[in-house]
Amino acid sequence: MSGPLRIVHYVNQFFGGIGGEDQAHVGVSVRAGAVGPGRVLEKALGDDARVEATLVCGDNFASENEADAARAIGAELDRLKPDVLVAGPAFGSGRYGLACALACKVAQGRGIPAITAMHPENPGASNARRGIYIVPTGASTTSMQAALDALAPLARRLGRGQTLGPSEAEGYMRRGTRRVHDRGRPGYQRALDMLLDKLHGRPYRSEVPYAPPERVSPAPPIADLARARIAMVTTGGLVRKGNPDRQVSANAVRYHRHTVAELESLSPAEWEAYHAGYFNHIVNSNPNYILPLSFLRDLERQGKVGRVHEHIYALPGVSTPVAVSAGHGRSIAADLKAGGVDGALLVAT
Amino acid sequence: MISAIYNFALTTGANRVIRGARIEHVCGDPTLSPEKDYAFGMRIVTTALQTLTIAVPGPTLFDPMASGKEAVHAS
Repeated sequence: MSGPLRIVHYVNQFFGGIGGEDQAHVGVSVRAGAVGPGRVLEKALGDDARVEATLVCGDNFASENEADAARAIGAELDRLKPDVLVAGPAFGSGRYGLACALACKVAQGRGIPAITAMHPENPGASNARRGIYIVPTGASTTSMQAALDALAPLARRLGRGQTLGPSEAEGYMRRGTRRVHDRGRPGYQRALDMLLDKLHGRPYRSEVPYAPPERVSPAPPIADLARARIAMVTTGGLVRKGNPDRQVSANAVRYHRHTVAELESLSPAEWEAYHAGYFNHIVNSNPNYILPLSFLRDLERQGKVGRVHEHIYALPGVSTPVAVSAGHGRSIAADLKAGGVDGALLVAT
Repeated sequence: MISAIYNFALTTGANRVIRGARIEHVCGDPTLSPEKDYAFGMRIVTTALQTLTIAVPGPTLFDPMASGKEAVHAS
């Protein structure tokens, strides 16, 4: 290897020594050498590595002007050309965690390996852990030394162009990626060993990790339905008759928003289902079975529901990856919120 | 969320789950007379609306056909 490993370190305004929340608006600036936690990082890295420069950016600036921050970080990286970018650790700080993830993505986009560290529940980790290397830390700065001790050897190897092994062996957070490799023994032998371990009550580790579904805090109750704006969403693949919007019948890449402001009911002459996961003909005779507009209009007339929202949302909820579905859900929810909706009925076939 | 496969909804984390009729006709039942079909669908929809006015601790099942008003919580 030629020469010492050259590292650029990204920190926020606090760790960069500019100031606290009152300085969170400052843009990207550069300091020569290591600053603050960078000195601890340099020690953890050992002799043949040095922090060449430190990029400092205010957390508010990074989160409010993401594109500008990314551009400025990118420009500095183009100039400095480090072997590896280290960001953080951000611990439990949400904006800092997101900024560290951003810095890593900018570096990786330029072919520069990058790694950061933060608490597993930091939004930066939940948003970006699939794309970048993140070493888990405690929630507060008291775990600084441990975090950098864990991060440094990984940063060294990344900087030398090496590939990291699986997360469970290397200690970074699972990225949800799988790489083909030889486990040495065929699957049936490993499966039988696992079964024997299970039957004997010995510990064993499944090769198929279980990913528990995301938990969402329940929305608070609506105080008065008679004053509430209620929307309807369906995963039953509701389309306008003849499918003029060309919705797919499975693996939804988008959702469709339709206006029902003028409608009393969903007529089978105007609406139908296009969904590869169930027998659509019954819905085609009465589309209100998967989007109960006729019922809500009656309740609206009776004053039991304040207002039926003018837009409905539809997609075929079949063979769609969870991550894609979550994206559709977030986007629909944001649209409902922006539309002043108080509650929504989601009909799932 | 109104669904006939309500166990899926509960285990995947939907918080207010209302038991629908069948996958092919979630909010009603075409084998009933039009009046009964409508009444059945209305019962499902009003149950769903009522759940929006109730605080739930986590995934909870509401069955429009259950006699009592007891909700069932997912373990």
